[in-house]
Amino acid sequence: MNIYNIKSSQLAAFFDQLIKSGKMVIAPVLKKNGKVFFEAVQSYDQISTDYIQTGFSAKSVVFPKVEELFSFNKTQDGIEITNNLHTIPETVVWGLRPCDASAFNYLTEFFLKENPDTYYAARKEKTTLIAISCAKADDACFCTSVGLNPGSTAGSDVLLTVMGENVYVEVLTEKGTAAIETSSALFTASEEKSKEEFLAKITTVFSIDEVKERIKTAYDSAEWKNASMGCFGCGACAFACPTCTCFDIQDEGTQDSGKRLRCWDACGFGLFTKHTSGHNPRTNQTERRRQRLLHKFKYSVENLGIVSCVGCGRCIRVCPAHLNIFQNILSVTAP
Amino acid sequence: MKNLQNKVAELFENGTINLMIGFKEAIHKLPVPCFIDNVSQIEQLIFTPSCKGNLAVYLHKIEIKQAKKVGILGNIATLRSLVQLTSENQLGDIVKTVITINAQGEVVVFSTMDEVEAYVQANFPEYTDEDKKLLEQLNAMTRAERWQYWTEQFSACIKCYACRAVCPMCYCPTCTVESNQPQWIKVSSQTTGNLEWHTMRAMHLAGRCINCGECGRICPVGIPVHLLTAKMNQEIEDEFGAKTGFSCKSGYALNTFKPGDKEQFIK
Amino acid sequence: MDFEPKIVAFVCNWCTYAGADLAGTSRTKYATNVSIIRFPCTGRIDFMLLMKAFENGADGIIVSGCHPNDCHYTSGNFHARRRWIVFRSVLDFMGFDTDRITFSWVSAAEGTKWAGLVDETTEKIREKGAFTDFKKLDVETTNQMIDEELAK
Repeated sequence: MNIYNIKSSQLAAFFDQLIKSGKMVIAPVLKKNGKVFFEAVQSYDQISTDYIQTGFSAKSVVFPKVEELFSFNKTQDGIEITNNLHTIPETVVWGLRPCDASAFNYLTEFFLKENPDTYYAARKEKTTLIAISCAKADDACFCTSVGLNPGSTAGSDVLLTVMGENVYVEVLTEKGTAAIETSSALFTASEEKSKEEFLAKITTVFSIDEVKERIKTAYDSAEWKNASMGCFGCGACAFACPTCTCFDIQDEGTQDSGKRLRCWDACGFGLFTKHTSGHNPRTNQTERRRQRLLHKFKYSVENLGIVSCVGCGRCIRVCPAHLNIFQNILSVTAP
Repeated sequence: MKNLQNKVAELFENGTINLMIGFKEAIHKLPVPCFIDNVSQIEQLIFTPSCKGNLAVYLHKIEIKQAKKVGILGNIATLRSLVQLTSENQLGDIVKTVITINAQGEVVVFSTMDEVEAYVQANFPEYTDEDKKLLEQLNAMTRAERWQYWTEQFSACIKCYACRAVCPMCYCPTCTVESNQPQWIKVSSQTTGNLEWHTMRAMHLAGRCINCGECGRICPVGIPVHLLTAKMNQEIEDEFGAKTGFSCKSGYALNTFKPGDKEQFIK
Repeated sequence: MDFEPKIVAFVCNWCTYAGADLAGTSRTKYATNVSIIRFPCTGRIDFMLLMKAFENGADGIIVSGCHPNDCHYTSGNFHARRRWIVFRSVLDFMGFDTDRITFSWVSAAEGTKWAGLVDETTEKIREKGAFTDFKKLDVETTNQMIDEELAK
């Protein structure tokens, strides 16, 4: 890891240089309705710097809400199949939070571990993550309960921590180095410093080790029903979540030409597990929500060794009934 | 709140209800839906003007139907939903008590849907100022500007179906979007598919939506989808004189007709 | 090459389809731009079908059935009329050009009316030009965004 310093007032210049260097830059933008979302931008003055968390995560950079896997076209000579993997541009995601950056570690394990996903691999290869530590947090944040903290470097290529007039820059990877080198004149080498006083204070609501242990026997807890009563079964939490990866494959077009699309799907939907036989193993919302929470805290640990929840709190914020994942985990794992 | 809580405790004690759907305070001081099946949980029950959800939507849940004796807390929008659901024969016999707090802050308890209907008709609400303003803005735009506005809004839609999930009128066990032989409404959240979904939703809710505005309020992306259905209800009221959520016995505007229905556009 | 509009007509079997048939047997000459889809009744016409027609390349649409009180199934067209009033309103509110859809009552005896209607609609759509609003929205995946970025 290399450590640098850049003046806070020079961040705009660094940002604009990234754009000039030909990369597509995705950053948080304040929309008219008061919500902040990641969007492709052209200059630093378009971005929002005063937000706690974006509405949706940055996972759409490597796992878009709709992704064309390939298109087909029937011609006289046969069927042409083309894909767009070669058109993916060099992308920089600016301003994601440490929780979001660590989510990418889970996504990489999920998509690349056993049967590598070509599309995820192609996009991740071209993506550089420049995260910004959290100076503020709200009641929905609980990253410290899942083994992270507002200044964690996990998953980032570069982590920026604003310390008044200066910005502490931790460069973790070669991609990060390449990003810094687009404006090397703005950066000076720095010694290691403590970020503690510049980070948000986040209440730890549970110990992840205790939860991992207790959740092994939580399947039959009577508390699941209470935890899920408010759930309507929409997909908002899954779509906002930085580690939810479920998808649906849809073919659109005619007999002569069309495309195969990979679209986000959510385990909260009633028909998510409906089999072609007509049988549906999860017939009510209690069972579906239980599955979702167990997946985050138990099944992903069993399958990939990682708790897939990063404590970003988006599910709590977007939920129409404001269901609270950490309160639910506490109640189902209560001794 | 004490009055409310005492009243509900009474209803549990005399066996009128075995489940109360209401609100409690949660994270960010936001009121969230709560489901009380025991007198010991009564103290968390609240009902303030910031209690915005439309709780009638929960009456379709299997777990709630199993309770058989349900009490529900509601603002005027929820009451209208109950009236509309009654006119569509969706409630069965499970709702035993409906409670609201009137403009004077008094707790009002209804034991029958006729009582709810009378209250609704006496206190029939108007659109909120914010919605009126947005509707005016949209009506004042040119057609091309409206197209620009809605396609821009719909390009952000992620097809999470939260708008459908939160609507008390969307109770179809299998929604049109879930039928896939053929895949009638596109699944992918591209603008054309989103346009299909929202048009279909507006049409299926026309003459049924009671303008609680929840769909637009909870949209994770912030699309004011409630304006589409509000506009449709306005049309139906203007053209056919039908008010939604007004009477327990009203018909559905789109499966009835009058031979004298007027229009200017059919050649 | 001059633009030839593609018109799709959703018609009821008992009146308008028969009327179109009459136009044919009377050897009435009229625009060939129309593709007729036959329904048992206008009451069967789902509003999404109209939207799908536009998505799949139609430039204009005709929807036509029996005159009020003459429906073969007594009241199908009355239900259709209500549906069209509401649907037109949704489309207009969303900024869709409702002039591209022509609604009419054409009876089995009105072969001439049918021919005139098709000619009039074809001419109107020809003047409006091709319907490209949906094509422009097509394929807005990240890929397209990327293509645009690369093109810059």
